[in-house]
This record gives sequence, C-alpha cells and structure tokens, in this order.
Amino acid sequence: MSKPPVLRAENITKRYGKKVVLNNASLSICERELKILIGPSGSGKSTFLQCINFLVTPDRGRVWLDGREILRTHKRDLNAYRQKVGMIFQDFNLFDHLTALANVEIGLTRVRKMGKEEACEKAMQELDKVGLRDHIAKYPAQLSGGQKQRVSIARALAMDPEVMLLDEPTSALDPELITEVLAVIKDLRANGMTMIMSTHQLNFASEVADEIIFLEDGIIVEVGPPDKILYEPECERTIQFCSKMRELYGNSR
Amino acid sequence: MIESLVILYGALPYLFRGVLVTVSLVVGAMGLGLLSGIALAVGQVYGTPWTRRLIGFYVWFFRGVPLIVLLFLFYFGLFTMLGINLSAFTASIIVLGLISAAYQSQIFRGAILSLPTGQLKAARALGMSDSRAIISIILPQALRLSVPGWSNEYSIVLKDSAVTYAVGVTEVMARAHFVASRTYEHLPLYFAAGVIFLMLTFLGTKGLRLLEDRVRIPGYVR
Repeated sequence: MSKPPVLRAENITKRYGKKVVLNNASLSICERELKILIGPSGSGKSTFLQCINFLVTPDRGRVWLDGREILRTHKRDLNAYRQKVGMIFQDFNLFDHLTALANVEIGLTRVRKMGKEEACEKAMQELDKVGLRDHIAKYPAQLSGGQKQRVSIARALAMDPEVMLLDEPTSALDPELITEVLAVIKDLRANGMTMIMSTHQLNFASEVADEIIFLEDGIIVEVGPPDKILYEPECERTIQFCSKMRELYGNSR
Repeated sequence: MIESLVILYGALPYLFRGVLVTVSLVVGAMGLGLLSGIALAVGQVYGTPWTRRLIGFYVWFFRGVPLIVLLFLFYFGLFTMLGINLSAFTASIIVLGLISAAYQSQIFRGAILSLPTGQLKAARALGMSDSRAIISIILPQALRLSVPGWSNEYSIVLKDSAVTYAVGVTEVMARAHFVASRTYEHLPLYFAAGVIFLMLTFLGTKGLRLLEDRVRIPGYVR
C-alpha cells in the first residue's frame, strides 16, 4: 500500500482579487485510482483541477508528477507535463474548425510530432474506443453534446496520459447523454486509468470512486471512501450537501 | 456627345492599364497589411504590457493621420531623409500597407477575442506551446471570422489607392485626370473612373463572399 503517488498537489491556493477560491488544497493519487471531487458550485473544484495542470496559475502550491516537481516557469517542462495529464472540460472545448478526427490528430502531429499516417491510425483507434468510428468526419457543430465529450476524451487519450483530470464532464449534458459519457469513463476506470474527476453525479461517484473529496469555499472539508462521505459523513456541511444532492438525483441504495 | 464617347473609347486601353496598377497597389497593400496585421493583433492580445502599448500607439498613429499626409510624410519626407530611393508606386504600397495593417489588426483582434477562451485552454492542456496554439488553433478560427471585416477593409483600401495619384502613381484616377485635363472631357472620364472602381469593389467583395462560404466551418448556421 506504500506505492508512491503518481501525482501530488500540495497546498494549492488561488485568489481572485480578495476572494480566496482555493485555500491550501492538497491531494495525491496513486496509479489506477479514481478520486472524485464533489461540492457546491463555486466551491473551487474547477479551479483546483485547473491549478493541477496550471491552466489556472496558483498563487501558491506545488505539484509533482512521478516524484518530479513541475516548475511552471520552465515552459518546456510544463508542456511535457501537460501532455502526460489529460484534461476533460465541462464544455468540451473541442477545436471548432476541425473534424472529430482532426481534433484527436492535432495533438499527435503538432505536439508529439507523429507522422500523419501514424497519427491518423491512432486517432481512429481512440475514436473507435469511445464508439465514434462513424462520426470521424463530422465537425463539433454537427455532433451531440455526448458525442462532443467523447471526442474530447479520445483527444486526451490519444496523448497516452498518465493521469486524467475530468472537470464536471457531464454537467453540460442532458440526462440521456450523461449515461454514454459515464459509460466511457467507467471503461477507462476498468482499464486502469488514473483519474481525478469533479462531478455532481453522486451515484456514479459512489459506484466507482476510490475516494471522495468534499470541497467547499475552496477548502477541503472531508475526505474518505464513498460509503463514508456519502452516507456517514462527519461534517455537518457534507451531510447537508449530500442529502440535498440525493433529494435532487435520487438515492442509489 | 459622340465626340466625347470616341475620346473615352480611345482612352479606355490607357485607363485599363491603370487598373493593373490599382490592383497591384491594393494586392500589395492588403498583403502587407494582412501579414503585419496578424502579427500586430497577436501581439496586442497575447503580448506583454509594453508590446500592447507599442502596438496601441502604432494603431492610434496610422488610424489617426490622413492618408495623404502619411503619403507625403513618407514619400517626400521620411524616405528622402533616410536616403531610401523608392518609386512612388512602392512607397504607396508601403504606406497603404502600414495603414491597412493598423485597421486589419483590429479586425483580427476582435475575431481572436470573440473565440471562447476554452480553445486556448484545451490547446495548452494538450501540451501545445502558446505559439503553436495560436498558429494551429486560434488563427485558423479567427481568420475565418475576419473575412467579412476584411472585405470591408478591401473596399476602403481600393478607394484609398486613388489618393496615390497625388504622389504620381499612374493608377486609374491619375490616368483619368491626365486624359480629362488634356481633352477637357471631364465628365465621361471621371464617370469611367468611378465605374471602374465600382466594378473592382463589386468583384472583390463578391470574391470574398465566395471565400467566406468556402471556409465556413460545417455545421454552423448563418
């Protein structure tokens, strides 16, 4: 059980003006683990995830990947690090001017400098994995939300990341489409992908998470296995939040 | 009346050779403006505060001084002072291009700023450097969005190019003026010059409209 963590973030703090959106948040994750961040909107989940790969620059805090500290001032190191940390966004952020296939290829050809043919083959494989073989020639505007999110997962997977960060991957989808994206994430989980994910899908969290982290007002309030956090939380705020979410989305038990 | 038409008819080949000059002026100036405009726009959006300030100053200057003043200032003033020996034609392309760069930079800047910030974030998340992301992700989208504004800029540069006759470039207007003052047939010649500019505007904006349709991203409805 003493495996070293793949990714470690320590004391991440972020302020916007006077508002502290993230206060000394720390987290570490071992290979093949899935950790889920929950918490009300504005609690800092997104900021936390984006600070981990420096899409948002933290005011304070350090991040290690495979025991090596990431210095964000070293542009080359930072870009190499980001290649190894896949990111999935709430609103997909597919490149709108590129087809599904080209969206997946571009990281391979432009960042990993892979040859065109090899990149195409790999991109096809990744799109096949997320069930989009028939949609490779479509542009983002021609895809449904669920399909877009699956393309974005394929785009991240194509880089062969060591860790994936998923920032509310289903929050912009209607209920029917949520299932197809969650199914892909379960697949990833089954294949041993290391993931940190923020979500409001507590049922999903209780099913698949190794650990749940409850965040509020930028502070990590409570951490523990799903059964504890979702059903026997210690903190008053966690209890309130979880019962409200259950009221909204139904109980999984 | 008949006599005017005969004179006009005789002058047409001479005028049409001027069209070549006008078109070269516009293509040169728009091309120079395109390349510099893109660089200025990128610098103004993503550059350091000092870069932005410098570009802001450039845009303020070239948008704020009348074309004819700039033409005289550069052609008779600056280039002569620096001992740079340029033809009126080349100097005009440079001046028109520098001005167009200022206007075009603002077209591109607006287009870049209209893109969702998530595009750059997603590119960075893949490990792209910022310059790579700008080249592969931001500009291909921003330039598509810029075509309508660019078409507007084209018609302005086209008409501005007529002013270069003041430094002796033998474009359409200069030739019309030359024939008119020699034959005293002002009306038909300036009318013809006007029609030529109208046709060039029409063809250019029509062409750019086709380009706009061609580069439209599938799935986006108008």
